[in-house]
Amino acid sequence: MEAVVEATDLERTYGETVALAGASLAVERGEIFALIGPNGAGKTTLVRALTGTTEPDAGTARILGEPPTAIDRDRLGVLPQDFSPPDRLSARELLAYYAGLYDDPRDPDDVLADVGLVDAGDTWYEDLSGGQQRRACVGSTLVNDPDALFLDEPTTGIDPAGRRTMWRLIEELAADGTTVVLTTHDMAEAQRLADRVGLLADGSLVARGTPETLVRDHGGSSRLTIETAADVDAFDALEYPVERPERGRSRSGNADGAVVVRGIDPAEIGTVVDFLEGRELEYTKLSWSEPDLEDVYLELADETELERTDRVDEPEDNPDLARAGETA
Amino acid sequence: MTRVGRVRSETSAGWRSFVRRRTAVFFTFFFPVILIVIFGALVRTDPGGGGLFAEPPAYYVPGYLAVVVLFTPLSRMGSEVARHREGNRFEKLATTPLTRGEWLLAQTVVNAVIIGLASLLILALVIVLTGAEIAFSPLLVPYILVGVVCFNGIGAMLGSYTDSQDGAIAASNAIGLPLLFLSETFISLEQLPGWFEPLVNLSPLTYFARGVRAATASDAATSTVAGLDPALANLGILTAIAVVVFALGARSIPRTD
Repeated sequence: MEAVVEATDLERTYGETVALAGASLAVERGEIFALIGPNGAGKTTLVRALTGTTEPDAGTARILGEPPTAIDRDRLGVLPQDFSPPDRLSARELLAYYAGLYDDPRDPDDVLADVGLVDAGDTWYEDLSGGQQRRACVGSTLVNDPDALFLDEPTTGIDPAGRRTMWRLIEELAADGTTVVLTTHDMAEAQRLADRVGLLADGSLVARGTPETLVRDHGGSSRLTIETAADVDAFDALEYPVERPERGRSRSGNADGAVVVRGIDPAEIGTVVDFLEGRELEYTKLSWSEPDLEDVYLELADETELERTDRVDEPEDNPDLARAGETA
Repeated sequence: MTRVGRVRSETSAGWRSFVRRRTAVFFTFFFPVILIVIFGALVRTDPGGGGLFAEPPAYYVPGYLAVVVLFTPLSRMGSEVARHREGNRFEKLATTPLTRGEWLLAQTVVNAVIIGLASLLILALVIVLTGAEIAFSPLLVPYILVGVVCFNGIGAMLGSYTDSQDGAIAASNAIGLPLLFLSETFISLEQLPGWFEPLVNLSPLTYFARGVRAATASDAATSTVAGLDPALANLGILTAIAVVVFALGARSIPRTD
């Protein structure tokens, strides 16, 4: 298959901060590649390096076989992070403005329809809702019918229905041969949309693959979450691994008062119910789930986060921090 | 899309964005008007009387025009560039076929229309309120256009090298005010210390003021430049400066972070 987007050992630092530490990837024609990772992991810098809006300190990037700064701009569509276009143009005028910069643009009204803004076409950008504004911004990347599309957090602020509209649109674009690289904090979005996912942490792609592969390799086992006030020790006699989720790691946000039973088949849930009732352990809710991309994210990104936290928590590992602590 | 098409699209968006900011439109025209009212109608000139405003009213026409030709591009371009940077608009534009030069040209066209209209208003007010007797030379048009090109380039640099809209506006005021008063606009060279003359000659606005005065004030004693007609010679110098400054301004506009 033809690699439309390629990066090899990209490095970029900003002062003391390492934004990219040897990131490499290759995205094929018509593929949707999602970059996920914690804040500050280097996602936006990687997109910028790939699109030529930042110069890497080392490594190479190519789009459609050309360096990013040499590519025919008519074939490229980019949505920067925190993009704020002229705010006193209507959504239609905004798309017409960007369309006017290209050789063979699409009809702005068609693009308005694609992003679901037909009814808001005559509304000034500043008067659109946050989600509508983001849709207009996505529309600005589609006016030239690009071959390579880079979307930095395209659905931030868009409501669930609108997000699904965006997802369908991106899927249709990819089906027509557009190569899409997107960043997202929404794991459901990555799992639904991406052919492959790359998890970026501390400037490096620490894992990449199809969502299914990543889940299989890093997602752990299935989970049965029991909302209960009982102590986790009461579950010691259960024949499955039991854990109380760490604070902040709970999928349902109820780390306090929940116990998770790992690696249990749905057919075996009855065994757990019998166990609870046999020991008169009260519970309010049982929920079972397969591992998914969020588990992968928490597993891999949390390792990095914990390393960072440990570095901060243990100043003796860092002489400068230790001295700062003594002074304080 | 041709270069013309891209500039037209950018110009159209820039024009709409400007005229829809009513306060910006109002004060763009109000600022020179209030200046003419204060200095031309209230303070008044006192020809032959010594001190400031000792020249005939027509002498100050270049100064009044300079208020818009200098300040509007400096402040508008400075804040526009800063606004584009803050909204990651240049990052977006860097991935489109629009070049930095085309972007600056489009902004220059917008400013030229705004400043052209403001200049007509100024000329009318100066004649009505101060009784200035001026010749309507066709050279006024290229002077205003070239002046806009020049100061648009400087404004783009201010916006590129300052870190915020506030910083760009403060810098444009800090640079614009001394230029306005020390470029043979309101204060003649004779009223300044002799050692200051080389600095006056460094200001692009000086050539605008000398040239516009030579073109509009028939009784003004404007010296020739290397034996050439001062109206044309100063336009030539201003054009050369404008070309260089425009190129530097376009180059200063960020394409990367």
